[in-house]
Amino acid sequence: MTAREWEAPASFGQERIWLADQLDPGSPVFNLPCSLEILHPIEADEVVAALKTVVDRHEVLRTSFRIVDGALRQVVHAEVDLDVRVHDLRALPAEERKARMYDHALAAARAAVPTDRAPLWRATVTRTGDARWVVGFVVHHAVFDATSAVILTTELTELCAAAAAGRPAGLPELPIQYADYAAWQRGQLTGQALADQTDYWRSRLAGLPAVHTLPTDRPRPAQLGYAGDEVRFTIPEELQEQAAAVGRRSAATPFMVFLTAYVALLSRLSRDDDTVVGVTMSGRDLPEVAGLVGMFINQMVVRTDTSGDPAFAELLGRVRATLLDAMENGQIPFQAVVEAIAPQRDPGVQPLYQIGFNYIPDSGIEPIPYSTSKDDLAFDLTTGTSRLLYRTDLFDRGTAETFVARYLRVLAAGAADPDTRIGDLPLMDEAERASLLEAGAQEPPREHATVCRMVQAQAARTPDATAVIVGDRRLTYAELEEAAGRVADRLRRSGVGPESLVAVYAEPCLELLPALLGVWKAGAGYVPVDPGYPAERVAYMLADSAAAVVLTQRHLTGALPAAGATVLAVDDPGEWTGQPAAGSSPEAAPENVAYVIYTSGSTGTPKGVVVEHGSVAAYLAWAGTAYPGLAGQALLHSPISFDLTVTGLFGPLTVGGAVRFAALDDGVAAGDRPTFLKATPSHLALLAALPDRAAPSADLVLGGEALPADWVTAWRERHPGVTVVNEYGPTEATVGCVAAHVAPGEALPVDQAGAVGIGRPAPGNTAYVLDGGLRPAPAGVVGELYVAGPQVTRGYLNRPGATAAAYVPCPYGPPGGRMYRTGDLARRRADGSLEFAGRADDQIKLHGYRIEPGEIETALRARPGVRDAAVSVREDTSDGRRLVAYLVGEADLTAIGDALAATLPAHMIPSGYVTLDALPLTANGKLDHAALPAPSAAPERRYVAPRTAAEELVAEVFAELLGVEKVGAEDDFFELGGNSLLAIRAIARIRGQIEVDIPVRGLFSYATVADLAAEIERRLNEDLDQLSDEDVERLLTAEGDGRP
Amino acid sequence: MNKAGTMTDHPYLVVRNDEEQYSIWPAGRILPAGWHEAGFSGAKQECLDHIETVWTDMRPLSLRQGG
Repeated sequence: MTAREWEAPASFGQERIWLADQLDPGSPVFNLPCSLEILHPIEADEVVAALKTVVDRHEVLRTSFRIVDGALRQVVHAEVDLDVRVHDLRALPAEERKARMYDHALAAARAAVPTDRAPLWRATVTRTGDARWVVGFVVHHAVFDATSAVILTTELTELCAAAAAGRPAGLPELPIQYADYAAWQRGQLTGQALADQTDYWRSRLAGLPAVHTLPTDRPRPAQLGYAGDEVRFTIPEELQEQAAAVGRRSAATPFMVFLTAYVALLSRLSRDDDTVVGVTMSGRDLPEVAGLVGMFINQMVVRTDTSGDPAFAELLGRVRATLLDAMENGQIPFQAVVEAIAPQRDPGVQPLYQIGFNYIPDSGIEPIPYSTSKDDLAFDLTTGTSRLLYRTDLFDRGTAETFVARYLRVLAAGAADPDTRIGDLPLMDEAERASLLEAGAQEPPREHATVCRMVQAQAARTPDATAVIVGDRRLTYAELEEAAGRVADRLRRSGVGPESLVAVYAEPCLELLPALLGVWKAGAGYVPVDPGYPAERVAYMLADSAAAVVLTQRHLTGALPAAGATVLAVDDPGEWTGQPAAGSSPEAAPENVAYVIYTSGSTGTPKGVVVEHGSVAAYLAWAGTAYPGLAGQALLHSPISFDLTVTGLFGPLTVGGAVRFAALDDGVAAGDRPTFLKATPSHLALLAALPDRAAPSADLVLGGEALPADWVTAWRERHPGVTVVNEYGPTEATVGCVAAHVAPGEALPVDQAGAVGIGRPAPGNTAYVLDGGLRPAPAGVVGELYVAGPQVTRGYLNRPGATAAAYVPCPYGPPGGRMYRTGDLARRRADGSLEFAGRADDQIKLHGYRIEPGEIETALRARPGVRDAAVSVREDTSDGRRLVAYLVGEADLTAIGDALAATLPAHMIPSGYVTLDALPLTANGKLDHAALPAPSAAPERRYVAPRTAAEELVAEVFAELLGVEKVGAEDDFFELGGNSLLAIRAIARIRGQIEVDIPVRGLFSYATVADLAAEIERRLNEDLDQLSDEDVERLLTAEGDGRP
Repeated sequence: MNKAGTMTDHPYLVVRNDEEQYSIWPAGRILPAGWHEAGFSGAKQECLDHIETVWTDMRPLSLRQGG
């Protein structure tokens, strides 16, 4: 060190900025541009001299940074070369002058300022008039902040005024310099004070969401980028006054009121009660630093609980309390909070918060536009020109503009009536709202009100056409009608009629469709009961539905539980020989029950959904036109106990097609390729492994769970001529009520999660995406999906309470109408079509099956030794998605597996069991799914000895820095206890050992020994081409030195 | 945490439409047209339990009358 420069520790704030800067070197994101006007007739050298005086006064404007022994130091230089460009634009016309200055300012703001060379600023001094100068100043955030801009302006203005008047300038003396502050800060926050504040933040931010759920226009890139843009806006003066008045009533500042509106908006748009905003504090509480240029600001996380739909005034109270509390504990630097709470960084996500809120004094000067944004989204609010900064990786300009419009709407409504609940604050204007509530297209004309009639009419048109195929046995339409008539007659003789239920306990066979149609001809409804179900469940379904008659097959009669019902075997010719009934019983009306299908029930027992004839007819009338393949041959491969099969079971019979019962992988004769196939996404894998002739030639309809786009893409590449449809619909809204049709050659609608969109409601139906207060959610915002229209079913059999809870008054359709609350989450795309966004509750969709974990958990808890139980779907296992049970207690896992198999269908049996001491809970006492361990006792991380010289070097550096004895090739720096400061040291050491230009960000992207070593080798190889032989030799020797 | 704007803690009303289908509706919110209060209010589960006792025939009224 010489007298020309001296070193001091960097402040915490500088460390944070410098570190973030290293993550994206060369980015101008930390450039702070500011400009001011000097209105004196002075000369250029006088302006530059004034600038020099300011630089002389403030050491920080002569400071650069360097790493010494793995720690960041600030280096103050006695002298620096002033980087000042002088322009004289007086000769130019006003317009051109303005344009030129704007260009200069923009160019200066966008060029990176390296932090290792002083000074960390550059200036342009432009004469625009004889007594008018504009000083443009671009400075790195590591040595500057918003208040610094005010100080710089004040001092320059005074110095120039003094020069013009020929008097000495009156500037306050500076008692300390920035480096003194940094040293003081390091000494101040130690021991108990630091521990207390760290504890406060640790408890305050426990369970903090890793990232906000605000909808973005594009998925988050793996690497954090700072490319940004801004939207400018002004809060009308009247609204500012109104907000201030609302604040006064609650002893709150205008800042708190503005922040409250921000929090309310974020909570609404992200559909989360846990809103996290980073707020900037000036950090200049000490009088000694009031006049200092430098980086003093500190970020604070303001985490507000918005639950319970509070009134605006109440939320203001919460924000105020949260903020005051945070300020009490706000001396701890943000960087220290990050290290204490979230040391392991996702390189794509800014830690702790990604949405910022700054309330800054209005400088009165037109701001220079930003082309970067540190936060995903941030408000720079002033009383003058405010701006919304946003990352262009994530958001479109239109979205940012809409955000601002919504903010102003929410602020205005909250300020006008603070008693308004935040859920009722308007997000949209009338036009947007109306477009969201628009009813679906008109219902298609229906010739017949029941499917029974539709099939009958088709049979009259094509009596000799094939209707049903099982193996090499076939039924024509005429034969089908006749057989169904015989079943109906027999049922009538047993007293079956409209509103009666007939259980159908049969495997796929030639007699199945005559049986089902026979039930309908008799006016009744059928209850499909899968013969594969455990006896207990079959008994439950028969008892719950109180079916008077059970239609079955001869070989299954023995398996039926003893009950009072009449049992008829459909394949016993003796049963059906009776003479056709003379008089016909009443036919089913559209309002009569057509079938009851049981679905998993959250409280432990399955619920029967009562579906009326009119709903089935509405669905099939639509399907018949939407799926041309139904007029050919439909392959029916899945059990009729799920309503997914209704399409392929009856659809063909309404349009002259044939139904063939066969397994997907049954040998298909070349000439027998199906035209229509409906399957679950899970079936796609199976289809992919089958020959082409097993695939449908016209329509592939997929439904039952989220549909991964890449599976579909692969399938379409192989079958380019087939229309693929993603059909969405709960049993309660009859088979399918929303669908996305993707014709050959059409682009797949893919959402950010990589799933295919679900499209638009079927004709006559309306789909609403609503928030918790049944208000329409704006496009892009996740809400719960509700369905209204002719396909909404009657309810749950004999369960008035459950029905009333799920079928609710529809505020947007015809009077007295109901809508079905699907429990699914969805969002509307800008084009009005829908995307599936998961479940609002715990319901699981696995391989097309709908599973209530509660039902399995109830069965588990009923076992001896099980004190508590939870069921979850794991996606992290090598064999794809699987159901895993977590048990608390001392239970015999084999016995439990056997017991479940006796009561639950196979798709509800967990494939893995994990015993825990207690179920992990979130801060608010809910099951913490993320904390559930993977099953099959994940083996202890195996120690893999470093295999290459580079791995040895990296492992050794990690071991030394982290105080770990043995570091293996697969070990992760952050999992071993590393943090970002240690990361700087690690990289510095590696750089010290071998000549490789590896950036600090390297450790965030390549955190394991093996990955980082591979990256080092890659960079070395890249450099090799440019090296001489001696260099290579020397390098390799240096690398070899890393060996123990 | 709970999702924004949910009202699980709010009192509900038992409501009924002209088909004598029952449902529940948050008290204090405007009841959609065609629905009427059925004379019971309380916590959500209380309302559902009440409906369990009064909605004895779940067929829509028009079907009951026609059939």
